[in-house]
Amino acid sequence: MKATCWMGRNKVEVENVPDPKILSARDAIVRITSTAICGSDLHLVNGYVPTMKRGDIMGHEFMGEVVEKGPGVTNLEVGDRVVVPFPIACGACWACENELYSLCENSNPNARLAEKLFGFPAAGIFGYSHLTGGFAGGQAEYVRVPFADVGPIKIEDGVPDESVLFLSDILPTGYMGAEFCEIKGGDVIAVWGAGPVGQFAAASAKMLGADRVILIDRFDYRLRIASENIDVETLDYEDVDSVPEALKELTGGRGPDACIDAVGLEAHCHHPVYAYDRTKQALRLETDRPFALREAIMSCRNGGIVSVIGVYGGFVDKFPMGAVMNRGITIKSGQCHVQRYMEPLLERILGGEIDPSFVVTHRLPLEEATRGYDLFKSKKDDCLKVVLTP
Amino acid sequence: MAVQVRVRDKDPVARFLGWFSIGLGTAQLTAPRALCTLVGAETRGAAPKVMRVLGARELAHGTGILARPRPTAWLWSRVAGDALDLALLGVTAAKYGRARTLFAIANVVAVAISDIQEARFLSRRKGPTRPAMQVRKAITINRVSDEVEQAWAAATELRRKVEQNGASVSFARAPGGRGTEVIVEFEWNPPAGDFGAAALKLTGRDLATQLSDDLRRFKQEVETGEVVRSDGTPDGHLLADHLRQRAARPLEEAVR
Repeated sequence: MKATCWMGRNKVEVENVPDPKILSARDAIVRITSTAICGSDLHLVNGYVPTMKRGDIMGHEFMGEVVEKGPGVTNLEVGDRVVVPFPIACGACWACENELYSLCENSNPNARLAEKLFGFPAAGIFGYSHLTGGFAGGQAEYVRVPFADVGPIKIEDGVPDESVLFLSDILPTGYMGAEFCEIKGGDVIAVWGAGPVGQFAAASAKMLGADRVILIDRFDYRLRIASENIDVETLDYEDVDSVPEALKELTGGRGPDACIDAVGLEAHCHHPVYAYDRTKQALRLETDRPFALREAIMSCRNGGIVSVIGVYGGFVDKFPMGAVMNRGITIKSGQCHVQRYMEPLLERILGGEIDPSFVVTHRLPLEEATRGYDLFKSKKDDCLKVVLTP
Repeated sequence: MAVQVRVRDKDPVARFLGWFSIGLGTAQLTAPRALCTLVGAETRGAAPKVMRVLGARELAHGTGILARPRPTAWLWSRVAGDALDLALLGVTAAKYGRARTLFAIANVVAVAISDIQEARFLSRRKGPTRPAMQVRKAITINRVSDEVEQAWAAATELRRKVEQNGASVSFARAPGGRGTEVIVEFEWNPPAGDFGAAALKLTGRDLATQLSDDLRRFKQEVETGEVVRSDGTPDGHLLADHLRQRAARPLEEAVR
């Protein structure tokens, strides 16, 4: 089959690889009908997530049709149309029982690697380095889905792929980021990053009753897509001299009630400190550039919540812990527990509350994945989200 | 009640100084001229020979510190060594007046401070030495204890490994309905102290590491009915295999 493979830093190629096979009783093989490139895939391509191996199949946002299943998969039939969540979860451990699916205790066969870096391991993830298990990803024609009786959600015919594909990751991720904010009437929420996750976080904050949502980015086309589709205010950070000051003035001097970091470890900022962090990162003296996170903390109102859904991989410098402690700020974070949100969000999609397909700007055949990565990474041709079809 | 898990006399500072001695001694023995250049001494005549002797002394310090469970005397021997090194460097500085010698003196002073602090720290330890460390590997399985104990009885290979190594196993109910804790305990006293420990770790024969893998796989089997496999790790969790992962793409031949 054809598959999108990581062939080294800044090198993604479509290769011919063996077809996946059932390895365990609870596996299913899914023929991919749609798959997307995620912002976090760019962290892999850019070489900021360790333990990638040359030849790894990428992709953790995908859906398709069940073509084969092991005897342990009783809830799915061959021919079923499914969306597959990106964290692999066994459904039997304490974390899964408590709906902390991205912290599944069993699904990462490289748990010790992750344990060394993070203290405790997290769940396995499709196509997302060997730290998260070394599972082949779904930017391919077929994929093996472990614990297929737990994760995948069935989709009725007649609903277009693009409306439900993002249940696999970015819609629940954005939604969880908004849920972390414990939104009450009158709340103002600021969101850093108008990529697809930031857009969904902003949309979810509105759905959950936020009074105002302020979305921050530097790309006009992203802010334009957001204001055309969601009821948000937009802020181009390159136009203002200080984001925390601007937010303070926009909120009567209080600051946003909650701040969502939907940017993560490769943040940009228009400030001399960019050179400082970029240099330290290049020299591997710190692994992550936390501008958005620092700004979110400094901007948040006293006693507010900072919700971190952008991806971080290692260590950050100059973390304003004094602000967090003295101003009573709560930080909430995590890889999304996708399985927890798929059903309720599917209902919202079918009920017409949100159509996530508005973020799609590019549709390409799988063979053109390399071009898709380039468009997305370089923000060429106003690229916001690339969907690949095998 | 004082915790008795992983209690040992030798702390990470002593271990670091031990390996530091081994590293420095090896360099002094194998590349004495380069070291002479580094500290601003002559590369001909007696200096390289003296450097070799000092290297042999360093190796002795390192070996003593790493091999002994409570190497108090060996730490003091490092302090004495530092005094000798400073004296020799002082003579060198007086004779040639090179900046490199002053830099070397600053470095020796820095490490001497650590040596003195650590030697005094170990001197304060009273009571009999503890050559063996009590190691405990535990994992919580989300099942009632009857089920876990039955599965343990059926896991003959794992049970045999535990018995052969003189380890003991116990089961405890985890609080708040979190399942059952499986606890394996053993005395860890590798031959030649830290040298043996390092050798066992490097060759993948370290019991604690093996038990971590085994308990994780045991938990997977009890909770999910299978050992979790990925394309990069087709045989399931084994720390030794982490270093030689294959790419995350399907195998040519299915492993069933």
